[in-house]
Amino acid sequence: MRSWWKNVWPPLVAVIFFLLVWQLLTSLFHIEQWILPAPSDIARETAAASGGLWEHVWATLKLTVFGFAIGTAIGLIIALILHLIPFLKQALYPLLILSQNIPTIALAPLLMIWFGFGLLPKIIVITLVCFFPVAVAALGGLKQTDPVMMNYMRMIGAGKGQIFAKLELPHALPSIFSGIKIAATYSVMGAIIAEWLGADKGIGYYMMLQKSGYRTDRMFVAIMIIVVLSLLMFGLIALLEKWFVRWKPKQG
Amino acid sequence: MNKENTPALEIVSVSKSFKEKRRTLPVLSDISLTVGQGEFVSIIGPSGSGKSTLLHVIGGLTRPDAGTVRMNGAEVTGQQGHISYMPQQPALFPWRTIEDNVLLAQEVHGPVSREAREEARHWLAKVGLAGFEKAHPHTLSGGMQQRAAFLRALLSPQELMCLDEPFSALDALTRSDMQRWLLDIWEENRRSVLFITHNIEEALLLSSRIYVFSSRPATVLHAIDVPFPRPRREEVTEAPEFLQLKRQLSEWMREEQRKMQAAHQGGSRQ
Repeated sequence: MRSWWKNVWPPLVAVIFFLLVWQLLTSLFHIEQWILPAPSDIARETAAASGGLWEHVWATLKLTVFGFAIGTAIGLIIALILHLIPFLKQALYPLLILSQNIPTIALAPLLMIWFGFGLLPKIIVITLVCFFPVAVAALGGLKQTDPVMMNYMRMIGAGKGQIFAKLELPHALPSIFSGIKIAATYSVMGAIIAEWLGADKGIGYYMMLQKSGYRTDRMFVAIMIIVVLSLLMFGLIALLEKWFVRWKPKQG
Repeated sequence: MNKENTPALEIVSVSKSFKEKRRTLPVLSDISLTVGQGEFVSIIGPSGSGKSTLLHVIGGLTRPDAGTVRMNGAEVTGQQGHISYMPQQPALFPWRTIEDNVLLAQEVHGPVSREAREEARHWLAKVGLAGFEKAHPHTLSGGMQQRAAFLRALLSPQELMCLDEPFSALDALTRSDMQRWLLDIWEENRRSVLFITHNIEEALLLSSRIYVFSSRPATVLHAIDVPFPRPRREEVTEAPEFLQLKRQLSEWMREEQRKMQAAHQGGSRQ
């Protein structure tokens, strides 16, 4: 507990200091609220939670978790298939990398045209954002199996399936988790983008509404909520990782 | 066929070469050797002489160009899963507890029974790893890890154990401890063992027969029977006969090392 506090207090102090400076500057230079609201204004607005804020948060959270689960699953399945069939990997891996040069934000309007404004195009946007880090991390982890352990397994006559289940997969778990952690934070971003483009609820939709009303304070509330959601997703996966990879020697 | 007289392992005229940049690199040349039932046999040779390739042939990972591998009378050339194996590095899986690591080889060949688990625990206690059953490998010292790796090989269902320079990564003190330990355990169990090493004293202390390999391409230069009676004590290393054998083996090894260096220099001059 003590060492935890030791790590936490310096960034905490930095954040508090930053907020204080922000607060001071806005009142000192009389900055208009619609240009840059003070932290106290934002806090007041959050507490008021007007415009059905929490319903929007709930909608975004549901969309994020749903899309993230599907995206991660697809990423893992792609990694698995490409790993088990080396020819497919050779053929498709470059395409996979190439696909990431298409900005999701440019694809999203197309998806709206093809699939309308329902749940499906939004899930596809999040999936597109999530599957890639998971697939690449999983493929990398599966490829880097310890050669000494691999040699051992083959010498004692382990089959392909056993080598995968008993060696390759557990060996790759830490890198799979680092991919999933990235996907977890991306998934919130994906959900917001999807909601920007066409939705009737969610934080993304809420932001669009507030933008047209020049409610900068509420925009900041939305940003804050997005940050908290991202941290929440990340923390959840980090906890899962800690449980799954609990054999790993502690560093330092 | 009488099981007593069928050797646990019989290698008959095995040759193997690798293709490397349009050149053929002969690694094993007409190797023949035998490990009888319950016999401890060592292969000793300069490093890089193809001992690991021979192990891969025995384990079925590499098919020899010529020759056959027989175990208990049946031909198993190119077949996997007939040996139990202890590699140079312990190769314990870090996500498994010591107990689960020790049971890994059995697990690969079928479900692990409760009796097997109990036996593993019994053995762990016997080799001084009591209390570490649920520990993860990284918390153990190098010598303890090697003991666990040996146990994993010992508890494998296959009769023949292949040990590939198992102590070469340990410091001198731990190494001599481990040699004595292995001697005790083996004399109690008398499994058939093929032991690969480049440590002469180790080979003499442990084995009933030693095959001396030449430098690459490896051939069997000499096969000597080690005459000391069992059970052996460590004092045997001070017997005049032991020292004489040691001198003889050292001489052969030095000669091979010299030949290898000469060949290497000759090769680099081209």
